[in-house]
Amino acid sequence: MANALDTVQATFLNLDGQYNLLLAACRTQADRDALSARYSAAETAFNQCVGQMLADDDPTVAALCTQLTTINNKVAALTTQMGDMSKVLTVLDQALKLGQQVMACRP
Amino acid sequence: MKCERDWLRIAVTSVALSGVLLAGCKTSNDAAAAASQMAATSLQLSSYYKALQTTFQETDELYQLNERLYAKPYTPENQQLLKKNEAELAKRAKLATDLSSLSESFGALSASTVPSSAASAASQVESDVDKLAPLKPSSTEQDALKLAVQQLATAIQAHKEREAAKAMESAAQSLSDLFAKETDIWNSTEEVYSQIAANLAANLVDANVTDNSAVLNVALTPFGLVRNSSMGDMNEKLVPVAKQQIATKKTAMDDSYRSATEAMAKALAQMAQRIQTLAAGKPMTERRSPLSLATVQQWVTQVSSVANTLVPASGASASPAKSGSGKAK
Repeated sequence: MANALDTVQATFLNLDGQYNLLLAACRTQADRDALSARYSAAETAFNQCVGQMLADDDPTVAALCTQLTTINNKVAALTTQMGDMSKVLTVLDQALKLGQQVMACRP
Repeated sequence: MKCERDWLRIAVTSVALSGVLLAGCKTSNDAAAAASQMAATSLQLSSYYKALQTTFQETDELYQLNERLYAKPYTPENQQLLKKNEAELAKRAKLATDLSSLSESFGALSASTVPSSAASAASQVESDVDKLAPLKPSSTEQDALKLAVQQLATAIQAHKEREAAKAMESAAQSLSDLFAKETDIWNSTEEVYSQIAANLAANLVDANVTDNSAVLNVALTPFGLVRNSSMGDMNEKLVPVAKQQIATKKTAMDDSYRSATEAMAKALAQMAQRIQTLAAGKPMTERRSPLSLATVQQWVTQVSSVANTLVPASGASASPAKSGSGKAK
């Protein structure tokens, strides 16, 4: 079973590793702002997750972590979709939304 | 939070530790040895947490550099969250330090007199416990645990070792279990620190602002040679080697930390086992502190030596990120 903190951490680190390339691929200031906002959100999610003791043995958390792990594989390959920033942002939104749901399950 | 409640329980039970030792062991030498070992183990636990704190401070500096150099946003909110998590580590470090002092005090305890230092140490641990759970200051559990600490301190100061012992049956085991329970959290923060550092280092190598020639030392140093200051295009050719070195050292940092964590967990488990033996009224044959503490110290020294070579980034030691606008340019 995926660890809740690990999955949220993976979203953040995957984005951090690709951030410079993704930022360079942004064509508009709106895209840059959107990417920047998601970077902050991913970092916030990780920091908040550290401050919580998540119940990894909760079936709901486990199911969400499995989904987030799947989405994280897409996040890890975001630079392959740099030509379409809207797809990049959509994948990030999916990951961040799942991360929020994981944290909402705190006991 | 449950995690913090567990810490409170540990604090409660640990305060009673020396009382159990005195009550359960057959000779004062056994009690003194166990108290001394518990003091050493607690002190190493404190050092472990303090070294982890250092990685939090370096993470903060890395985020600030990332914002200035690569427009990666570092908002005041995120800096506050990082500081808040670091503060939790600081509380654990202080508690471990004070538990060490308490254990030492009991190590010096004669059969009939409680040194004033022991009373002072017990009082200090009470104070530490009080500060550990600021999120739910009025929770029933916290009040109950605070009361328990007070009762234990009273029992210890009144030489009621048996009463303290009743509350202490699984103390050392709880400490060991709780450390294991929090391991994932601190593992994660160390991994983020090392990965963020590695990503930034790789970006700087890509930007050609690093001197990559240091990787040539392996070939030159054995023959007493030094690098030429004029490298030509050699610096660029060494980029892949420099990046490989970053990856290798990042892995080594993570491995070293995990070894230290496993060693700390092992030391706490060994102390738990020894104390159970003593509490059962059996003689304690082991006179040395857990050997795995040396592995923990090795990592602590490694973190300290790296930190000592660092000069804080300009403004990095200043207060919260001022430029965290969340806007990338």
